[in-house]
Amino acid sequence: MAAVTLERVRVKGLVCCVPKASVGNLDCAPDKRSERERLVRNIGISRRRICYPWQYFSDLAQTAAEQLLDAVGWKREEIDALIVVTQSPDYPIPSTAIILQDRMKLPITTIAYDINLGCSGYPFGIYTVGSMLSSGGIKKALLLVGDKCASLSDPLFSDCGTATALEFDPAAPPIHFDMNSDGSGYRAIILPVGGHREPTQVHHLIPRKDADGETRRDVDLILDGTAVLNFSTQRVPPALRALCEYAKTPIESVDYFVLHQANRMINETIRKKLQLAPEKVPSTLYEFGNTSSASVPLTMTVCLRERLTSAPATVLMSGFGIGLSWGSCIVQTDGIVMPPLVEV
Amino acid sequence: MSAAHVPDPAELASFVEQFVVAVDFQNAVPVAGDTKLADLPEWDSLAALGVIVMCDTDYGVTITGNDLKECVTVGDILGKVHGKKAR
Repeated sequence: MAAVTLERVRVKGLVCCVPKASVGNLDCAPDKRSERERLVRNIGISRRRICYPWQYFSDLAQTAAEQLLDAVGWKREEIDALIVVTQSPDYPIPSTAIILQDRMKLPITTIAYDINLGCSGYPFGIYTVGSMLSSGGIKKALLLVGDKCASLSDPLFSDCGTATALEFDPAAPPIHFDMNSDGSGYRAIILPVGGHREPTQVHHLIPRKDADGETRRDVDLILDGTAVLNFSTQRVPPALRALCEYAKTPIESVDYFVLHQANRMINETIRKKLQLAPEKVPSTLYEFGNTSSASVPLTMTVCLRERLTSAPATVLMSGFGIGLSWGSCIVQTDGIVMPPLVEV
Repeated sequence: MSAAHVPDPAELASFVEQFVVAVDFQNAVPVAGDTKLADLPEWDSLAALGVIVMCDTDYGVTITGNDLKECVTVGDILGKVHGKKAR
C-alpha cells in the first residue's frame, strides 16, 4: 500500500463540463421496457450525457479549464503545468495535454503530459500534480480529468470533462493518499485491440454475437461485470479504512465520501460495508451515469457545491476501476471555488 | 457440484427467497432449491451481480463469476457459500 502525505498543496477550485445532449436508458423499444426498468433499478442509472458528433473529451475539458481560470482569477502566463488524465485522447499520440497547451494559449514553459488512467484517475491526478507543486518549484497547475466514453447502446458510461486548479500554498492542510495497482486483473476492463499487440484490422470491425448473445465488435470495450464487482467491493472498503487510519482521521469525522460512480450495486455495497449514512455518500449515478475519472469531481459539483463553497469540510475521494487500480485521498477543503456545472 | 453438504431445508428456503430478491425477476416465477439456473428467464449478467452482492452482504462470502458458472441449480450456489465459509 502506497500511503503518502502531500504538504503545501491547495485544491483551489474545480469546474465540470458535460454535453447538453443526453440519452435515457429507458429510451427503448416498448417490448424492452420491462427489461430496461429492471436494469435501471439495479445499476441505478437513468440518463447519461453523450457528446455531440463534433465534441471530444478535450473540448469539454478545455471549456471547464477556461471557466476555471476565470473563476479563480489566474492568468494564463501563471500556469506552470497542465496534466491530463484521460483514456479518450484526441489522438493515440501525441499527448492531449500538449495540444491543449497551445489551444488554451498557455506559455510554452508549461509542463504538459497525459496520464492513462480511467475510473481511478482523479486521486492519482491530484497526487501527481500535488507532488510537482509540493516542493514549491512550480506554483500553479491545472489538472484536466475525464473521458468521452458514452455510447447509445451501453447503459453505463457517460461523458464529462473536468478541470481542477491546484497551487503551492505553505498554509494548506496536508492531503493524505492511499494508492494501489493490481495488473493481474488487467483483463477485467480492456480495449483488446488497437494497440501494438493487436493492431486494428478489418475483421475486428465485424459485429458478432458473444457468449451472452450480445452483439459486439473486437474494437469495443470488454467489461467483466462480476470481476469488477468483486474487485471494487473487496478492495475499496479496506483501502478506505486504511487511509482513514493512516491519516488519523476517524471515519465518523469525514463529512463526505465521494466515491467513483461505478453502478448502484457496487456503490451501495461499498457504502454498506463501511456502514456509512446515505447522506454522507452523494451520488450522481441516476442522472449522469458512470462518468469514468470525472465522476468524483462531477459528484462534488452537482451534489456538494453549496456545502463545500460555504464552509470547510473533510472530503474523502475514491476512484477505482480499470487497471486494476484504486486510489483515495482525504482533502480538507476550505473556500474551494466551485462554479455551477457547465453544459455545452 | 459435490453433495458433501446437504443444506437444512429451512436455510435453503430462506436462501431461495433472498435469491429471488437478488435476481429481481420482472414477472414472478416459481423457484426452489433444485430449480436449474439455465431454466430461469432472467439468469443473466445482472442477476449474477445481484447474487454476488447478496452472498457478500448477507453471508460474508465472496462468490466469483466463475463460481456461479459451476453452479447448475439455485441450491448449488448455497453449496458454494458453505464451501467457502468452511475454508
